[in-house]
Amino acid sequence: MKKSYEDQDQSWHVDIMGEVDIHTSGNLKDALNNLLNEKETSIKINCDKLIYIDSTGLGVLIGVLKRVKKNENDIFIQGAQSNISKLLNITGLDKIFIMSE
Amino acid sequence: MENITLSLPSKAEYVSVARLTASVIANNMGFNIEEVEDIKVAVGEACNNAVLHGKCDQDRFNLNFVIDGQIFMVEVRDTGNGFDFEEYTEPDLMNPRENGLGLFIMKSLMDEVEVTSTVEDGTCIKMVKNVVEI
Repeated sequence: MKKSYEDQDQSWHVDIMGEVDIHTSGNLKDALNNLLNEKETSIKINCDKLIYIDSTGLGVLIGVLKRVKKNENDIFIQGAQSNISKLLNITGLDKIFIMSE
Repeated sequence: MENITLSLPSKAEYVSVARLTASVIANNMGFNIEEVEDIKVAVGEACNNAVLHGKCDQDRFNLNFVIDGQIFMVEVRDTGNGFDFEEYTEPDLMNPRENGLGLFIMKSLMDEVEVTSTVEDGTCIKMVKNVVEI
């Protein structure tokens, strides 16, 4: 579902691939929190291979955002496909995460 | 008019089965790619509710799809403990919470959403989307 490494921009870089739904969102939550347990930095998420996310997945991202915000960090979302962008837009999350192509 | 019924275990791993079934039905009705995706997402959210609010693992939830010409209708029913409308508040998008987005998403993507819920009988989420003639 994802791989990660820290880069010279002092943040975790993560690729989320495939589908994140009620069945798999718990894994995503654990994986992201484990990264932050190692180092509390911003997280840059590459979504170009993410084909589906549901409200439980969005909930995980919101929860993680609250954690990174405590350290004045952010979540960056990059490369979201049109269906994912649409969901982030209708939920207003595209104003809360930092979006880029 | 056609009826398609699906009965699934109230377990998270089966929600994708419902989503896929909804996608195929919608696609065959002539919805465009974006609309099929809308339906898939909305059905997924309704099923999430059924799984999350069902009573236990042994429970099942049901989907009834009705295709009537240009109208796609689906009812997602669970036999859980019911959903208390008094407790539901529209999500504050500037202060996102981890829970509560599902219903908001369904209402944004479908033409009609109707939730009926009682403690005795569980919850039924009925959603409708119309094929738009260009």
